[in-house]
Amino acid sequence: MSLINRTLFRTLVQGTQHVKALHTSSVNAEKNVCYAPISAMQPNANKEGRIKCTLIPGDGVGPELVYAVQEVFKAANIPVDFESFFFSEVNPTLSAPLEDVVNSVAKNKICIKGILATPDFSHTGELQTLNMKLRNALDLYANVVHVKSLPNVKCRHHDVDCIIIREQTEGEYSALEHESVPGVVECLKIITAAKSERIAKFAFDYAVKMGRKKVTAVHKANIMKLGDGLFLRSCEQMAKLYPRIEFEKMIVDNCTMQMVSNPNQFDVMVTPNLYGNIVDNLASGLVGGAGVVAGASYSAECAVFEQGARHIFSGAVGKNIANPTAMLLCSANLLAHVNLHNYSKMIKNAINKVLKDGKVRTKDLGGQSTTKDFTFAVIHSLA
Amino acid sequence: MAARIIRKIVPTGRAGAAQYSTGVRKVTLIPGHGIGPEITVAVQKIFEAAKVPIEWDEVDVTAVRGPDGKFGIPQKAIDSVNANKIGLKGPLMTPVGKGYRSLNLALRKEFDLYANVRPCKSLEGVKTLYDNVDVVTIRENTEGEYSGIEHEIVDGVVQSIKLITEEASSRVAEFAFQFARDNKRKKVTAVHKANIMRMSDGLFLRCCRQLANKYPNIKFEERYLDTVCLNMVQDPSKFDVLVMPNLYGDIMSDMCSGLIGGLGLTPSGNIGKNGALFESVHGTAPDIAGKDMANPTALLLSSIMMLRHLEMHEHADRIQNACYQVLKEGKSLTGDLGGTGKCSEYTNAIISKLN
Amino acid sequence: MAVRLLAKLRVPEIRNVANFSSAAAPATLSDFDVQHKTPVIRKQQLIPKAQYGGRHAVTMLPGGGIGPECMGYVREIFKYVGAPVDFEVVDIDPTMDNDDDVQYAITTIKRNGVGIKGNIETKSEAAYVTSRNVALRNELDMYAYVLNCKSYPGVVTRHKDIDVCIIRQNTEGEYAMLEHESVNGVIESMKVVTASNSLRVARFAFEYAKRNGRKKVTTVHKANIMKLSDGLFLETSRRLAKEYPDIEHNDMIIDNCCMQLVAKPHQFDVMLMTNLYGSIVSNVVCGLLGGAGLLSGRNYGDHYAVFEPGTRNTGTAIAGKNVANPVAMINASIDMLEHLGHHFHADLIRRAVNKTINVDRVMTSDVGGTASSTDVVNAIIGNIGRC
Repeated sequence: MSLINRTLFRTLVQGTQHVKALHTSSVNAEKNVCYAPISAMQPNANKEGRIKCTLIPGDGVGPELVYAVQEVFKAANIPVDFESFFFSEVNPTLSAPLEDVVNSVAKNKICIKGILATPDFSHTGELQTLNMKLRNALDLYANVVHVKSLPNVKCRHHDVDCIIIREQTEGEYSALEHESVPGVVECLKIITAAKSERIAKFAFDYAVKMGRKKVTAVHKANIMKLGDGLFLRSCEQMAKLYPRIEFEKMIVDNCTMQMVSNPNQFDVMVTPNLYGNIVDNLASGLVGGAGVVAGASYSAECAVFEQGARHIFSGAVGKNIANPTAMLLCSANLLAHVNLHNYSKMIKNAINKVLKDGKVRTKDLGGQSTTKDFTFAVIHSLA
Repeated sequence: MAARIIRKIVPTGRAGAAQYSTGVRKVTLIPGHGIGPEITVAVQKIFEAAKVPIEWDEVDVTAVRGPDGKFGIPQKAIDSVNANKIGLKGPLMTPVGKGYRSLNLALRKEFDLYANVRPCKSLEGVKTLYDNVDVVTIRENTEGEYSGIEHEIVDGVVQSIKLITEEASSRVAEFAFQFARDNKRKKVTAVHKANIMRMSDGLFLRCCRQLANKYPNIKFEERYLDTVCLNMVQDPSKFDVLVMPNLYGDIMSDMCSGLIGGLGLTPSGNIGKNGALFESVHGTAPDIAGKDMANPTALLLSSIMMLRHLEMHEHADRIQNACYQVLKEGKSLTGDLGGTGKCSEYTNAIISKLN
Repeated sequence: MAVRLLAKLRVPEIRNVANFSSAAAPATLSDFDVQHKTPVIRKQQLIPKAQYGGRHAVTMLPGGGIGPECMGYVREIFKYVGAPVDFEVVDIDPTMDNDDDVQYAITTIKRNGVGIKGNIETKSEAAYVTSRNVALRNELDMYAYVLNCKSYPGVVTRHKDIDVCIIRQNTEGEYAMLEHESVNGVIESMKVVTASNSLRVARFAFEYAKRNGRKKVTTVHKANIMKLSDGLFLETSRRLAKEYPDIEHNDMIIDNCCMQLVAKPHQFDVMLMTNLYGSIVSNVVCGLLGGAGLLSGRNYGDHYAVFEPGTRNTGTAIAGKNVANPVAMINASIDMLEHLGHHFHADLIRRAVNKTINVDRVMTSDVGGTASSTDVVNAIIGNIGRC
């Protein structure tokens, strides 16, 4: 029956022929050794066959890290053009308007983003942070952080390899707060079935795509029986559609305890908003900190690549000591997302090589090298 | 209002303790379920050997059906804690099913235990990946996310309320600073997420800041919850005393336990205005109950906390040293710590080290 | 059933209203989105759509025979053009007697909403094992099957410029799978025709004709013999034809139709028929156009769409010999990209396929060429973006 509907839609839109913007270039991974993109294959809007990507440098060390990415892209001759926006909450006068950024991301479908600082208070008394506004405007509901031990990064735990998927548009981050009487603040946590199912399905689909075996739902349904209970039920329901993936549940406090003592038991984890934030950072800490873990946020249409653990690291601003590994990994994931697999592999291999050699290390990994040194080392290792 | 002022002047929880400090102190003992009875016996034996002037008042808190038809704590237990103002409790099991309220929650509510304290200290002899942990988590225990106010607005949309009040926040912050002062700690870190929950966590943070001004000798810092998580697993020595709202505290305290080897080694105390309750937070382990295999360390460490709360520091030090020595030697450890010892052997080993 | 019918009857007015109000929005809706946003019958459970960061997850059932190799070609081409599609491959073991694999395949299509499949073999001939292709269609309620038959100028055939579209009822009729032996030696096979299914497939056909600027719909039937069942089908389509005054409607008996098809195929435009006749007619037309290896078919339900090669043959005999014609599967993948709304990529591949066959004349032996399967695929890849 929907076909009828579809036809009606079709008749209405006839004439306004919509050409889907193509954000991909093509490289035949196996056969073509040549990295040059085939220009004719790009959408008509873009004659040179280059991809456009929105770039938000962010606050703190963000700009330095993003600069590293740009350097590497330039050196590797990667056909990506950046559309840069200064976007910041701590500096509202210089910040580009939200709509412009949103429109740009919606058009380009991909974005690479530094970290946005979120102050504890807002000048205008708003409860929503800029990060939240951006996520809500683009409906970036799923945050994926792939926590994986990197070669030659000294940590207490080894061979950690888990994917943490976090709902990030509702829950505690709904920005619904009020002071009912002075000294008593109520903060609403909203959990909906629709969004819980959506994130659960995302997690399972992601597990299928990555060939993973197990999905763990993290919750606190023993206390928040309705809210987290709903989340858990939604996950259980979705799990029925995936008979070949194991599903288990874990209470969040137990989960953090297991994470620090035996992180290797986890595979894919799906969490509501706040717990995800906790588990993300915890897991990032296990493999070497905020500087080495890449993440991404997805909506149905767009993907925003950003660091897995978001810290502005303001103490390091301008000192040229931040670790660009996470940002470079993000950029590699971005390239893979738009089917530039060869470039993606090239960057990833280069990073691995630099880390394995262990000669160039930034401060957080126990070395003395600068951000620039590391970036150049990666550029030299590009093969 | 008057009550509030009085409470501010007289530090809560201590009021009952002072008057008994010379004579024999009566303490309510709740052995609990599962391995509870065994480990409480172990603690009692050690206390006896150390000649601690404590008289145990043992009560059972197995839920009974009250006059309103709901299951609850027996009145006798409530009366006992109210009279003694201090208690030691083994693990409790809450029957699954409707009509049963969690006994732990019921106790917490009954005695208004507003602060949960868990010192997590790396123990020599217990092999973990972290060896420099010495963190105390102090958790607000009565409100926040665990307020229990939830409702389904329309089908498929649930709203839970996180409640933060100035009163409770100041109370726990004050306790944290007092604790830091009394235990010669250097720093208090307020853990929050005020960048996202600007009003509620903002209020909590404001209360902490206010109290910090009253304790200029103790360093105060504010950290985001996620930053603490990240830094904690990388370098736990960065932190000293952590104070935080309910949910964060729940998560952080378990995580810190994980750093030092699990809940079986973590003591825990609940401080309230009507008394204090010290407990072991691990499960009831029904599978090994009665087999003399349980590890009493958590309850023992909790009881040491209790002694310090009663200002019986000498006894506390003696028992603590004995316990640490046994753990360090690693001879008669129980199964969960990789040893082969029995609960009774472990207890006797500690007793033999008392002198 | 009654409820379902009622729901159907009410739907059209509501639909129109909805469309007016959202006249601007549909510009970005792909067919895939439309299926998701406007479910007519609420699924038992509304499943969120599998589209993440602009990429779609699609179930791939390679099936038996030449299926796996053809799927390999499709993936190669998709990788080359950078189509934003992630395949979830489900292999079905043809020798298994139980339906676990098939059930799993169906679950994955329910999850993803879209599938591409080769022909699945049903090796077991035990009476209780149903044909897996049929099971798949029935379970997903994919009631309409569309086969677009358009001549490739590069393929030498007797008839030139055939352009016929076959729309076939896909879930009932002779394929109801209700057979029994009432007395020894007497077997009854039931053919089921329902008004509701007849109506929706007829509506599908007329809407299709209208949307694609077709002029005529021909209902194919055997109502002279099967007066009640085929009669109902015919009657339904006649009644519906009145709602579409711009489209010419006629009907034709199946045996006559087959004769006309081989003699004067140009008289046909859109053809509407029940299940078994559809199977016959589509194979006849495929034969006219140059064999099984060129055309692709589409199965549509209210919520799901599955794409497959036009003629449902596994081609086990030529599997692994690098002679199978990959074009049918590639065309199916183009249909899929169109359905998902990736028109740009679909167009790239389609132009390359057309150039390969019509201009370069790189073809496999079944359509009169000499090239191997991989030659054809390489030629297509070579043409992508260059025509």
